[in-house]
Amino acid sequence: MLPQFSYVRPETLKDTVKHLSAGGAAIHAGGTDLLGCLRDGIMDVDKVVSLSALHDLRGVKETADGGLIIGALTTITEVSENPMILKKYPCLAQGASEVASPQLRNQGTLGGNLCQKPRCWYYRGEFNCLRKGGDICYALGGEHQFHAIFGHDRICIITHPSDTAPPLAALAAKVRTMGPDGKRTLPVETFHVLPRKNPQVETVLKPGEVITYIELPRPAGNMRSSYRKVRARRSWDFALAGAAIALEMDGDRVIDGRVVLSGAAPVPWRAQSVENAIRGKTLDDATIKRAAQAVAEGADPLPENTYKLDLFKGVIEEELNAVR
Amino acid sequence: MCSEHRDNEGTGKQGMTRRGFMQIMGTGAVGASLSGAAMAAGSKPEPPAKILDATDTVKINLNINGVNHAVLVEPRWTLLYVLRETIGLTGTKEGCGRGECGACTVLIDDIPRYACMTLAVEAESRRITTVEGLMMGEELGPVQTAFLEEDAFQCGYCTSGQMMAVEGLLRKTLKPSMDKIRRGVSGNLCRCGAYNHIFRAASRAAGLKTK
Amino acid sequence: MAEDSNVYYTEGLPVPETPAPGDKPAFWKQTDVVGKRIPRVDAYERVSGTAVYPSDIKLPNMVYGAILRCPHPHAKVKKVDASRAKTMPGVRAVITGVSPKVKGLNWKYRNYTGPLFDSHCRFEGEVVAAVAADTRYQAWDAAHAIEVAYEVLPYVADYKEALSESAPKVHDGGNLAGMDEYERGDISRGFAEADAVLEETYETPCQIHTPMELHGCVANWDGDRLTIWESSQGVYAVQSNVAEVLGIPLSKVRVIGHYMGGGFGSKLKPGKYTVLASLLAKQAARPVKMILTREETYLCVGNRPANTMRLKAGVKSDGTLTAFEFECIGPSGAYPGGGTALVDWLVRDLYKCDNVRCRSKDVYINAGTARPFRAPGHPQGSWALEQMMDALAEKIGMNPVKLRLKNIPAISQGRSEPYTTTGLKACIERGAQQFGWKNALKRAKEQNQSASHIKRGVGMGACVWYVGGGGPPSTVIIKLFRDGSVNLNMGASDIGTGTKTVMALVTAEELGVKPEVIQIEHADTGTTQYATPSGGSKTVPTESPTVRNAAIDVKRQILEMAAEDLDVRTAELDYEGTEIVWRKDKSKRIRVTDVGRLKKRGVVVGVGYRGPNPRTKTVNPFGAQFCEVEVNTKTGEMRVLRFLGAHDSGRVLDRLTYDNQVFGGIVMGIGFGMTEFRQLDGKQTGKLCNRNWHDYKLPTALDVPVDMESLPIEIDDPEANNTGTKGLGEPVTIPTASAIANALYMATGIRFTNAPVSPMGMCRRLAARKEG
Repeated sequence: MLPQFSYVRPETLKDTVKHLSAGGAAIHAGGTDLLGCLRDGIMDVDKVVSLSALHDLRGVKETADGGLIIGALTTITEVSENPMILKKYPCLAQGASEVASPQLRNQGTLGGNLCQKPRCWYYRGEFNCLRKGGDICYALGGEHQFHAIFGHDRICIITHPSDTAPPLAALAAKVRTMGPDGKRTLPVETFHVLPRKNPQVETVLKPGEVITYIELPRPAGNMRSSYRKVRARRSWDFALAGAAIALEMDGDRVIDGRVVLSGAAPVPWRAQSVENAIRGKTLDDATIKRAAQAVAEGADPLPENTYKLDLFKGVIEEELNAVR
Repeated sequence: MCSEHRDNEGTGKQGMTRRGFMQIMGTGAVGASLSGAAMAAGSKPEPPAKILDATDTVKINLNINGVNHAVLVEPRWTLLYVLRETIGLTGTKEGCGRGECGACTVLIDDIPRYACMTLAVEAESRRITTVEGLMMGEELGPVQTAFLEEDAFQCGYCTSGQMMAVEGLLRKTLKPSMDKIRRGVSGNLCRCGAYNHIFRAASRAAGLKTK
Repeated sequence: MAEDSNVYYTEGLPVPETPAPGDKPAFWKQTDVVGKRIPRVDAYERVSGTAVYPSDIKLPNMVYGAILRCPHPHAKVKKVDASRAKTMPGVRAVITGVSPKVKGLNWKYRNYTGPLFDSHCRFEGEVVAAVAADTRYQAWDAAHAIEVAYEVLPYVADYKEALSESAPKVHDGGNLAGMDEYERGDISRGFAEADAVLEETYETPCQIHTPMELHGCVANWDGDRLTIWESSQGVYAVQSNVAEVLGIPLSKVRVIGHYMGGGFGSKLKPGKYTVLASLLAKQAARPVKMILTREETYLCVGNRPANTMRLKAGVKSDGTLTAFEFECIGPSGAYPGGGTALVDWLVRDLYKCDNVRCRSKDVYINAGTARPFRAPGHPQGSWALEQMMDALAEKIGMNPVKLRLKNIPAISQGRSEPYTTTGLKACIERGAQQFGWKNALKRAKEQNQSASHIKRGVGMGACVWYVGGGGPPSTVIIKLFRDGSVNLNMGASDIGTGTKTVMALVTAEELGVKPEVIQIEHADTGTTQYATPSGGSKTVPTESPTVRNAAIDVKRQILEMAAEDLDVRTAELDYEGTEIVWRKDKSKRIRVTDVGRLKKRGVVVGVGYRGPNPRTKTVNPFGAQFCEVEVNTKTGEMRVLRFLGAHDSGRVLDRLTYDNQVFGGIVMGIGFGMTEFRQLDGKQTGKLCNRNWHDYKLPTALDVPVDMESLPIEIDDPEANNTGTKGLGEPVTIPTASAIANALYMATGIRFTNAPVSPMGMCRRLAARKEG
């Protein structure tokens, strides 16, 4: 059951920031993650600040330089079906279409998807784990077959669940925010926080700060992008392993590009080893094999999630073949 | 119960008794609120000028199946709770209360959503359609007819959610492919496993709707 | 009231002959209503949203209940302080283990009796306190404001370790809940005769029922009379349990369960929550609605226990099975719950084998107690036996279909008595043919020889279900009103299988009335007749013969009455649906609705009882399932492409609900084989990790094939009962997972001995194979 909280629905961004700046406030965008977190009692919230009245933060617009601006309150369904996104940034549309279930995509927002709390059955369960202010990461010594193999430093091995953050990071997207100190623009790539920096926060947002828009740069003319997600069941499930790939191509040759993994780490995980293995190379079988092998570099798998190494290799191989 | 109905049923003991009785008999309180039909649909919610206190109840207007309901709710009450326990529209079911089963699927402005993941205060003045809203008087709507004819349920508990998902799908896509249908109901669990008949019912419903 | 009896009767519909008093009804040679594809009689209520499930009930002045549960797998309650909770807004009643009203109240698990509130909590989720308040939210807040001091005790979570010396004891007597041994023939001789002997250990996970409707009830007292609306598979079982616990007469407990949102065995009996709701309602002097949360249902309302099974099998090169040796261990949970119940039944009974030995050990662990779950024991046993059959077939170079056909038993070996009928051979043979087994096999082989990393496999599994013949007791009343309309009154619950519908069809068939004019009253201990819970796939073979008997009783009475009107002997009259006709002169006839005594009395009441089952034969359903799967060997992703279920459950009463049941069983089997497992945090806390539908994964619409086929194998079985029916609900989920495992083996060459086979497991095994 949901605990008690007060509720406010400000009409302006300014008021929103004001309400959020007080302690114990939480943002309600689509509410799909927030209500789950509240039901599971994983955070203390005194006040829910709803963004529902901020109509300006919804919708997709083309920018003058050929990029896109997506309002933070644009729903995941809208992102997955937007013709401009489908055409120019297919990996983002694909990622959005793989999120949760149709109803949750109809309700959840792109901003919310970036800011959602990560997933771990200990963190979301009745365990006073490190991320909730406790002493240990239960998953580390416990049941962790769904957990991270990168970037956890054996501090907290939670996985970041977003299917839109990896494509956005691969596309070099930026988030615009508004906070008590004014506006900021931050790359999606560095938006999330690793456990070694602070295992109790997920993003670099400061108290009172809220995402307003997501900026997508104009894609290179010969950009190929794709998102692929493997999960334990085919709907309503987070990635066991996923990869967003956005490559600037010259024929068969990769000029440059990014590969960002989901289900891999406590944050969306940029696989630079894979990028290095394909940059400047022709995407032939040998390159793809090498790149797939490279994905395992720097991984720190645990006894029950070692399978993810092979799974990521398979995903990278399939993905590179798909954009080839 | 802190509800304030603008209905013609009376608020005395007798009225409540009758409501309770009707509930058992399976009629629910559909159409109990006669005034203000479809008035507020589409209009913007009045933003709460100030913070709604956690322990207070606040009066909100919910437009459900074209009927306006003024109800008193706590900020934490979900739309599902209010539909079922306050207003008495029990066709919408609770399976998990955490957005993981779809039994509570309703349409909000024609789009399928989980009522358990929607705060009642967030649904204010939106156009809400529940399974009761698919009925045409006592007659079943096309999706309901298709579910009946294809035996697209067993225990029937997930059924209203399934039908609302299909209704939402068909309001958006007139003739969905099998792939679209499967994706369309992929946010609705059926533990009895009637998926196959549900797929068929969705196809049939598309046919009935476009007839 | 309609004057025209055609409103209620189908003109010209042949009606079965009415047997003379004392005679058994003749077997239906052909049927006119039964067996057709007919939508459910209660479909309107279910699709309109007007069907009122127990969780929909709202009574005047009703308040809501919530339960505080022990968060530890093993602990002693030292102190409970509810003083703050009692003062919280809306709170109407609080009950703890020290409340005077609960003193001396006991709760039973099979042969174990303990206090209702046991301060020794042996599983996470044991009840510690309960609250009733004006809103569900307030009740929850107050329950969780109760302060409890626990002495946390060491726990045992791993059932395989439960019997080790060092394992903490769940009960003073130790962790052995029970043992079972069975032997026939001489297995050492059997293994000596074998040309090939294989041995393998198999594991299946703990599966949770998770029906869509939450467990719960509404309880209301009128003085000393208690009425309970419970989401239940059997209202009489709830009545007897609650009456016993509270020490009140059965007559004072009325239990109603008109609709219920699924149970699968977990709602055969009430829960402690039912008693708590009743106690709270008494204390609050208000009706109490007590619906568990989804999370609670993962802890304390049953499960299919995990099992580890070792199976050793011997076979001759001609395919003759020579010996089975089977060992099994599984956990009841914290209290007796049948941790290994029936796991060995398929080994004992399905295939002909003269030398069999089975041993099982049921153990206690600190986790929720098992309850029957759709075909208890069978999917587990099938996972072992059917994979072993395929392995044996491969070992001796025989087609797996052929090996099974080679070993069809003539009689039930487990019971040493004949089956009334066995469709095992027909299910396998005709199923394989309809599935296109040979072509599918060829296609898979071709695909697997290609360079593609997508591999394909086909697999099968067969089954028998332990019971499924139903039996007494059962009483049904059918009332024929003077306008020709009919009321059917039975105590059985319709748990989603279509019980009401098929019983209406049986009534219609026997009386010649239209099914839609039959009004059904059911599942209410206050107004309907005694019935056992709907479970064990016994409702149709139990109730439908009773319904038929009741209909015949109506006909007999009507004939007697008509004899008076026509002034002829009863024995010379035929009941022809709309009319009663004198056999000697067909012009002498009377419409049923014109029968004088019926018109005067207003109603004829027919009573039917369930007769005994055959004394020297056993009644069992059989089945075989076939499937085709695809595996992505790079990612471990699997797709079930199609499924066929060929099932011998005797006569099909409604083809529409029959097919639905077959498909549903397959879907649940896909969950058992591919996605579902309870995960305890065994190494650290013993607490449950996955207590919601995200972490505990049921198959979704995208995880099941669109291509599903149901092939009924209908064999006349007049000996079974007077409708020739056998159970269906359980057999349909028995061989599903093992058929998938066999198909996965063909696709990958990997034997998946541990269920479920998830992409995680598939990846692990593919990687291990690569490493050699």
